[in-house]
Amino acid sequence: MAIDYSLEPVLVEGNPPLKELDEVIIRPIDLKPTRKYQVVLAFFVSLLIIGIICTGITFYYGIGMWGNNQPVAWAFDITNFVFWIGIGHAGTLISAILYLLRQQWRNGIARFAEAMTIFAVMCAGIFPVIHTGRPWLAGYLIPYPNQHLMWPNFISPLVWDVFAVSTYFTVSLIFWYTGLIPDFATLRDRATNKIKKTIYSVFSLGWRGSSRQWQHYEKAYMLFAGFATPLVLSVHTVVSWDFAAAIIPGWHSTIFPPYFVAGAIFSGFAMVSTVLIFIRKVFDMEHIITIDHLEKMNKIILLTGSMVGYAYIIEWFMAWYSGSPFELFTTLNRAFGPYGWGYWVMLSCNVFFPQLFWFKKIRRSVPVTLAIVILVNVGMWFERFIIIVTSLSRDFLPSSWHAYRPTLVDFGILFGSFGLFFTLILLFARTLPVVSIAEIKSIVKGAQPVHHEEE
Amino acid sequence: MADEKKLFGVAALFDTADEIFNAAKKVNEAGFKNYDVNTPYPIHGIERAMKLKSSKLGYVTLFFGFFGASSILFFMWWALAVNYPLVIGGKPYFPLPAFVPITFEFTVLNAVVSTFIAMIAIVFNLPFNAHPLHDTNYMKNVTSDKYGVVIESDDPQFDENKVTEFLKSLGGKSIELIHNPEPKILKAFEPKFVVFLIIVAIITSASTYVTLNKFMYLPPFDFMLNQNKGSAQAESTFFRDKREMREPAKGTVARGFIPYAFNDPADTTEFYSDPLLPTKKVLKLGQRKFLTFCSPCHGNYADGNSRLRGFFPPGPTLHSAKVIGYSDGQIYNIITNGMQGIMPSYAYQTTRDERWAIVNYIRVLQRAQNPKPSDFSAISELIKESGNASN
Amino acid sequence: MPQTESTLPAGQVSMELAQSAGYTKKELPNSLSAWGYALLIAGVILSVISFMIDPARASFGYLTAYIFLLCISVGSLFLVTMEYVSGAVWSVPFRRISELFAASVPFLLLLIIPLFFSMKHLFAWMNPEVVAHDKVWQARMSYLNVPFFIIRDVIILLIWWAFYFFIIRNSRKQDSVADQSLTTINIKLSAAFIPIFAFTVSVLSFDWLMSMVPKWYSTIFGVYIFADAAWVGFAVVTLASVLLNEKGYLSPKIKNDHYYSLGTWMFAFTVFWAYIAFSQYMLQWYGNLPEEIIYYINRWNGGWKYVSLILVIAHFIVPFLFLVPRGSKTNPKILIFASIWIIATQYLDSYWLVMPSMVNNGFTYTFNPIDFAFPIAAVGLMIVIFTTAAKKHNLLPIGDPKLKRSWDFHL
Repeated sequence: MAIDYSLEPVLVEGNPPLKELDEVIIRPIDLKPTRKYQVVLAFFVSLLIIGIICTGITFYYGIGMWGNNQPVAWAFDITNFVFWIGIGHAGTLISAILYLLRQQWRNGIARFAEAMTIFAVMCAGIFPVIHTGRPWLAGYLIPYPNQHLMWPNFISPLVWDVFAVSTYFTVSLIFWYTGLIPDFATLRDRATNKIKKTIYSVFSLGWRGSSRQWQHYEKAYMLFAGFATPLVLSVHTVVSWDFAAAIIPGWHSTIFPPYFVAGAIFSGFAMVSTVLIFIRKVFDMEHIITIDHLEKMNKIILLTGSMVGYAYIIEWFMAWYSGSPFELFTTLNRAFGPYGWGYWVMLSCNVFFPQLFWFKKIRRSVPVTLAIVILVNVGMWFERFIIIVTSLSRDFLPSSWHAYRPTLVDFGILFGSFGLFFTLILLFARTLPVVSIAEIKSIVKGAQPVHHEEE
Repeated sequence: MADEKKLFGVAALFDTADEIFNAAKKVNEAGFKNYDVNTPYPIHGIERAMKLKSSKLGYVTLFFGFFGASSILFFMWWALAVNYPLVIGGKPYFPLPAFVPITFEFTVLNAVVSTFIAMIAIVFNLPFNAHPLHDTNYMKNVTSDKYGVVIESDDPQFDENKVTEFLKSLGGKSIELIHNPEPKILKAFEPKFVVFLIIVAIITSASTYVTLNKFMYLPPFDFMLNQNKGSAQAESTFFRDKREMREPAKGTVARGFIPYAFNDPADTTEFYSDPLLPTKKVLKLGQRKFLTFCSPCHGNYADGNSRLRGFFPPGPTLHSAKVIGYSDGQIYNIITNGMQGIMPSYAYQTTRDERWAIVNYIRVLQRAQNPKPSDFSAISELIKESGNASN
Repeated sequence: MPQTESTLPAGQVSMELAQSAGYTKKELPNSLSAWGYALLIAGVILSVISFMIDPARASFGYLTAYIFLLCISVGSLFLVTMEYVSGAVWSVPFRRISELFAASVPFLLLLIIPLFFSMKHLFAWMNPEVVAHDKVWQARMSYLNVPFFIIRDVIILLIWWAFYFFIIRNSRKQDSVADQSLTTINIKLSAAFIPIFAFTVSVLSFDWLMSMVPKWYSTIFGVYIFADAAWVGFAVVTLASVLLNEKGYLSPKIKNDHYYSLGTWMFAFTVFWAYIAFSQYMLQWYGNLPEEIIYYINRWNGGWKYVSLILVIAHFIVPFLFLVPRGSKTNPKILIFASIWIIATQYLDSYWLVMPSMVNNGFTYTFNPIDFAFPIAAVGLMIVIFTTAAKKHNLLPIGDPKLKRSWDFHL
């Protein structure tokens, strides 16, 4: 079991020839969808349709169809929003931060994670918009000279959110598309079907893989990564300020920004792992997305999970140390109040189970990993739910306390968002290369010239 | 001659990264300028072998990043502190910490989008699907698993045979002559295209029409039409007086309303004094308002030279001893309430401050007609100064 | 795979290792340690005098210096453990330098003793009369009482010492035996250290800095001190490594790419500190609750406004602008300048954290030359510890199995 630290770790197992990598990665695009795929797609599309129907009901009758009522004005909607935004963070972390840290193992999973980012942000963006009740008026959030002669309130964290999320979506899309251009060129030059070829030609923009281009391309990629890194931090920071800028006990906590970012990366990695475990199996990519990849991701899950645990403990300590009766009550109420069960689900899923990753055997076991990452997803959803609902349902005035109870429409929209996410993932897996062909080729053994220029 | 022009260049393929690295180096050393290396993924260090200058894209990012930061910060300051100042949450009009998040986000957005556009459109000159290299066997290989060099025919050293030999000597395989494609002439009025345009036009206008004129009147977008509301002239079933339009509660005072005690023009107003200082700004305002409201009857210089040429009784001159003898308050009162049933009240056309500014301006006009000796010396000083300045 | 060389006598192994790393051990110039001793002695004498003149004022100055030293020492230890855990390759040639700075971790235990004796000056809650009139203090007394306070801080410092002792011993042992299993052990130790470090550094920061301000609390405060520690940890390793390498004490195989990474990390933590500091400030400014905003009001009134603004410029804007261009991260002169700047700013930050809190215990802040005694002693002590530790050991971890990969490191 000894590791030789003096050797470079193997990133692509078995050193396949480049042509074979093309074949493996492009095969899912070329083949006809199997029955299994169709069944799974049908399942998620039906979830999506449920979500669309529930959203339609909401539009028609208004958001009275939801369980939200004063003082719990934020509930499932914002929970889902924060949950999906968090899922998106893993993608940018893998594609940008690990790129800057020169962790080349990221090349195998970056494309997929980036795609997940984009789909997750799309899912997330739906919720605040439909929560406004009249989503067709959401255009007023953009500062343009309008007939009211008024501007958005730039001092409000909710407006910061509009800027943060839309910037995040745009930058992620650009980052993703930049990575896709060379792959579109590869697809274009392989395509035999004329329609496909035209489509790929359009999207490849006529990329020629010239070294004169690669040079600028890599520079731009580096710049994008450099900007995406603080951006990804800022997005969840701004989301956390939605809560922390208020003075509601349990929300007004200065550790929220880094704690939310850690939690976002935590849940995002869990979601990436969940999906990748299936993808690598179904598409025969076990030598590209190896156990080592899963292990490294599990380590990051362990790290970020521990950060989240640190934040929980500090919150408890500070609630007591502050000497503020409201803070202490809110924290106790979270654990032992009406939503106490949710708190313990969150604590066990986010803190206790990921700690099992301290053991190497568990880190490298695919079924156990799958179980834990799914639990992490559940736990992180509950975390947002607990933060939002417990604080609002028990605020300063006991006379206005109110128990929140989600309705069927609430659940329908939640499931619909999962339907949308996985439908997009499934379509993506069959239409675009799920692994970046150019990037994976560049880290195969022997892909780079060994000798460098003479001194 | 025509044939020669058609040749784009000579291309050769190589099998490994080491080979292409050496080949690129040799081609560069042999003095070729217009050549290119095409690889399926970036080869580290090849830019040094080709002696390429390092990318300048960073400057684009830098410029547009700063541009984004400063423009959004300026805009937020203008919008919330100048254009529509509002106190929000007890914060100042320009709360810098609260503007940091948006400034940051907009900086990133601006920098990334501009870098991307600059790279694709300006540096790469893409999209360019008509490049001669496309659809060649060479291209099909270099986007998959081979590495290629192409030496272009417009290179000063280019000679078809020599270059072919040279590439062979470097170990290049499947040497390929690449020709420029036949230039395609696009016909603007090709029937297919015209039909396409027409269809697009119909679809666009129809969908716009339906959206604006039909769709917006369907639920749930018609919430404004079908809400519970009281119309101004309708009969109410709720209020005892059957009026839907309600009156303000007794004793309500409009914002900014200040009662004016002297409603009769004959009221004595000597004690009612001018609250404004005769500053340049006030006099400019007075001048503008005077020219708008007073000059039609009293003339541009308040000398009774009406601009209406007899269509309306001309106003008297304001340089008479009587008017000069009026107190400021009296003039103000006349503007507010009108005079002798001929001059109407200007209380609704002008604000209080504007009326006082007019009073100030009238005093200036009067002084201009009856200057004091000290005014002449002041004017000659001014003339001297402006004379010096023009020199 | 244990290497076959381990059967060779230890001296021969280390010679071969040193040769392959291009490293020859040179003694640091004596003038350096002489300067260190001179500064240390001068600083200690001045500090003792200042304690005699004004013990209350001197305790605050001493605490400032202690926080500064704590950040450097445990920050360096943190960097060593991070390298092991993350498997980073580029930083291997600089690890020993961080280890030498971490050699001050054991001294923290010694240096904290005077602080225990000056607690009555530092903390308002040491005054029973104040506590009797304040419900918040009373609620906290089960945590803020002297025995528990001293016991937990001593235990924390002992834990750090233990980790320092084992990790550094293994690392040094590798120089002569080149045993890969030592790396494996250190990875495990480091993995255990990092979560412990997170909690212990928070506890120390709450105890010594947060508890100076009545009613105030901030959950991010531990992270703030962590950001400072990592930042200054990178600054000291950059300063020492670049200086030594430019003079030929390290290896000619260290390239621009290694320097570049050092600069990048200083830059990254500059931004990280700004992020954390802004998060704390923004939320407390936005919430504007009386028990929270008092912390910043104390750091704004009475001329502190200028210190606060200088801190923003010196701690964020200047290093940011200096380190953002690509060229400056490979330029030794700029790196040295930036790291000295960062170390000095770190002292200013400690000062800013400690001094405005004087007002909470009934003192009024006025500038006092006493404040200069402690940084002199602190810098002297760092130099003495560094040079003494450097005498006995290689400046390059020549037995580290990752060192060879580090020479091949390129961007």
